[in-house]
Parts: sequence; C-alpha cells; structure tokens
Amino acid sequence: MKRREFFKTTALLAGSAALTSADATEAVEITQPIDNRSVADIAFPQKQPMITHSDRPPLLETPRSVFANPITPNDLFFVRWHMPLIPTYINPHAFEIKIDGLVRKPLRLSLDDLKKRFEAVEITAVMQCGGNSRSAFHPTPGGIQWGVGAMGCAKWKGARLKDILAAAGLKPGAAWLTLDGAEKPVYNQTDDFKRALEIDKITDDMIVAYEMNGEALPYLNGFPVRLILPGIYADSWMKMLERITVTEKEPHLHFMEHAYRIPDNDCECELPDKLYPKTKPIEKMNVKSLIGFPENGARIHAGTETVVRGVAFDGGSGIARVDISLDGGETWQAATLDDGKAGRYAYRAFRFAFTPSQAGEMRIMARATNTEGETQPFAHEVKWNRGGYKFNGIDEVRVEVIA
Amino acid sequence: MKRNIVTMTALLVMASQSTFAGHKGIKLPHMEFPMAQGKGMYAVKGMCNMCHSWGYILNQGKQSKAFWRKKVRKMINVFHAPIKDDDVEVAVNYLFTHYGNGKEE
Repeated sequence: MKRREFFKTTALLAGSAALTSADATEAVEITQPIDNRSVADIAFPQKQPMITHSDRPPLLETPRSVFANPITPNDLFFVRWHMPLIPTYINPHAFEIKIDGLVRKPLRLSLDDLKKRFEAVEITAVMQCGGNSRSAFHPTPGGIQWGVGAMGCAKWKGARLKDILAAAGLKPGAAWLTLDGAEKPVYNQTDDFKRALEIDKITDDMIVAYEMNGEALPYLNGFPVRLILPGIYADSWMKMLERITVTEKEPHLHFMEHAYRIPDNDCECELPDKLYPKTKPIEKMNVKSLIGFPENGARIHAGTETVVRGVAFDGGSGIARVDISLDGGETWQAATLDDGKAGRYAYRAFRFAFTPSQAGEMRIMARATNTEGETQPFAHEVKWNRGGYKFNGIDEVRVEVIA
Repeated sequence: MKRNIVTMTALLVMASQSTFAGHKGIKLPHMEFPMAQGKGMYAVKGMCNMCHSWGYILNQGKQSKAFWRKKVRKMINVFHAPIKDDDVEVAVNYLFTHYGNGKEE
C-alpha cells in the first residue's frame, strides 16, 4: 500500500528514481508510464526534435501534446529501428520490391509500378509499438522504456498486399510471407530483421504504402515503402520493404520466435518469478485512449473553460465511447467524439469541456470503450508480462488549478 | 570478418556523387548518451557501441546481474558481437554496478 501511495504522489516525477524504487522488490506494480521526458535539442532528418532514446539505431518518441489531434504529422511520428545500418540514400527510380518464392511469376516492382499497376488505396490507421508505455511495468521489463508516444496515426496510401500477391500468382500450398526491409546488421552472420505474416490473415486493408499524410514517407518511417497492417501492432509493418518471399511452411525467424510475444493464456499475464511457458505473438491492438491536452503539470485557471482533447483507438472494432473522470475515477462523464469518418482503424478524437471551480491539484482520466464493450482497466489493474507489451491502462494527467 | 558497413560506406560515397536533384538522402546525427564513469567503461564502450548507441542500454532500465549477463550473451550468440569470453564479466560487472537493480537474479 505504501508503495502505491509512493507512485501516486510521484506520478509527475516518475523518472529513473521511481523505477529504482520499484525494482527494490519483486512485487508487481503497474503505474502510469514515464511522462516527464523532454524532446532532444537535435532534430533528426525530416523530423522535429523528439524524445530521443537512441541515435543508433534511431528511437524517437512523440511528445504527448501531439495526441491532442487525430492525425500525427510525419515530422513528429515515432521511429523505431532494430538494426544499426539504415540506408541513408535510396534512389526512388531504382528501388524495387522483389516478390519471390512459391509464386508463378516472381516480380520486381519499381515504385512507379506500385503506383501505376495497382489500384491506389487510402486508409487512415494507427501504428503503435507493442511496447508503447512499457515504462508503466514494474519490475522493469527489458526493452525500450517508452512513455506514451510510441504510436501515431496517419493517412496511408498504397497498393493492396493482396493485389500484389495476385499479380505474382500464389502457387498451391502458399501459406506464409517473409517480409524483409533494407535495414542491416553490422555483421553479416547476424539474423536480419525479418517478420512473417500468415497469408490467411491478410485483409483488403493491408497495403504497401508509398504515401503518408499526402507526402512521401520520411526515411526514418520507411521511405520509400512500408507495409501497413491496420489494427495490428507495428512489429510487422516492415519499413523500406524490399522483399516478400512466399513459402508453404512458417519460416523460423529470430524476431518472430523471441520478440513481440506475450503469455498464451487468457489474461496474457505472468509473474516475474513464474513466467508462463507458452507464448504467442502480440498481434491485435487492445482498446486505448490518450489525453493530448492538458499535459501533466499544466496549470489551468479556476472559472475558465478548459477543453480536454485526446485520441482513442483499438484493433479495428471501432470506438463506441470515451469517458472522462475528474475525481480519480469515482465518477465518469461522456466525452464528445468526432464523426468517425476516418474509419475504424483511425484515431477517434474526443473532446470534453469543463470549468474547474476551485484551486488545487486535479486528476483527469480518460477511458475508452470499443463497440465490443471492451474497455480500459485502471493502470494498477493491468497485468504484468515479461516483455512489457500491450499496456492499455486508463490514462491520467495531473494538472494544477490556480485561482 | 566482412562487414556490411563497408558496403554501406560505398553506398554513401555513391550517394554523395549522385545527381538526383531534390533527393539527396539523409544524414543521421550523432548524439552523446553519457556513460557512468567507472571500471571497465572504455572496454564496455568498445564492445557495445560497435553496433548500437549507449542510449539503447540506458533504455533497458535498471536490471539484475542475471539480466545483463543474458543480454551480453545474447549479443554474442544471436547478434554475433565479437566479445571475448574473458570480457563478458567485465561488461556484466560494469553494467550491474552502474545500471543494476541490486539483485543477482
């Protein structure tokens, strides 16, 4: 109980000090993720300054305030690479995607082929790292200690993966794709970052995108093309996609068998000293919401109308409602949702206007519910897993109301 | 040990000579992530920063000795980092001393 109080009172300061304290005991504790990091003083190419976890490979997090809007600008969209060698120059006129393996006609498609030979499809979809908000988990799982911003939502344009495969012609027995991008390890013997996708799970919404919010993709988001898998965590949204290999058998890949996996039980949970033996891929995103304004530590005036803004999303069922609490989760009031025309894979923007009446600290919480009736648990109710995946605790910001 | 970095450097040189107007590629900035001063720092810097930034390590959070040992072994076994057996404990001790959570396991 003491420890929980400790976390509550230090939520605003939840930096490395809080993590150290949590690790002093094996007890599991899920809190709000770290939310006090500043953007770097250096901007990466085609980006604004972002929260920078690493420069090699680049790991860039989107600041919370960006989520006051339902589209994440390209220059603020999060970045996560796995290999240290990322091409820094790609000739868009010479670039090709190879489609090979169990196909009738192996293809080499140029960027121009993708744009001209296939119907152009537009879809607005959320891309979220499975480890987004990992810093909420204690004991600390290994992996990048993301705050809230390893996610974004963009309008993507590209060719359907199905159409591309149809052009190559799948041979009987074709069941799996191996996806390979242009990033490379330092040593040739090292396993490349490759992902597998089951052909049965491919939908019409999955595209090979050459446009992001009406522009070419930034290099760090996968220029010139990346895979878009709406509703599914970002681990298989291959950047700089350059090869798709079709096979009958599931390929053995390091990053499929050892990463992005959760316990294969109902609660998708385990204990640090009693890990669940069987695991499964993280795949479909759970329901989640985030407050973009106000931010933690903001000061607002009593007697002045304040509009809480944020975004909500899930794995594609669609958001039914977002509720706001101003009293630590005791009572809830419905927020107003946008028209939903961006589609079931997009951020649903919400707004909630209120006028604080008296000075003091105020906790503002947001809780999304999807059309299946699935809703977000309080952060302290979220269950632990060794990878720190799929955090979807009710978001909370603390503001100071001044007289 | 042939490295892709040689290829990459060659590509970069070619890129710098390329004449595609309006498309020059990118240049990634270097950022310094300060390391804790202490025994083994330079050795560890050499072993780890060959492939990735120090930020990548800071971001694993404070961890047990067993966690750091497993990570170093993974770098050798999975990612083929050229770390000698004798150096494994140098790295583990440095990491645990400065980025440890006080627990062996």
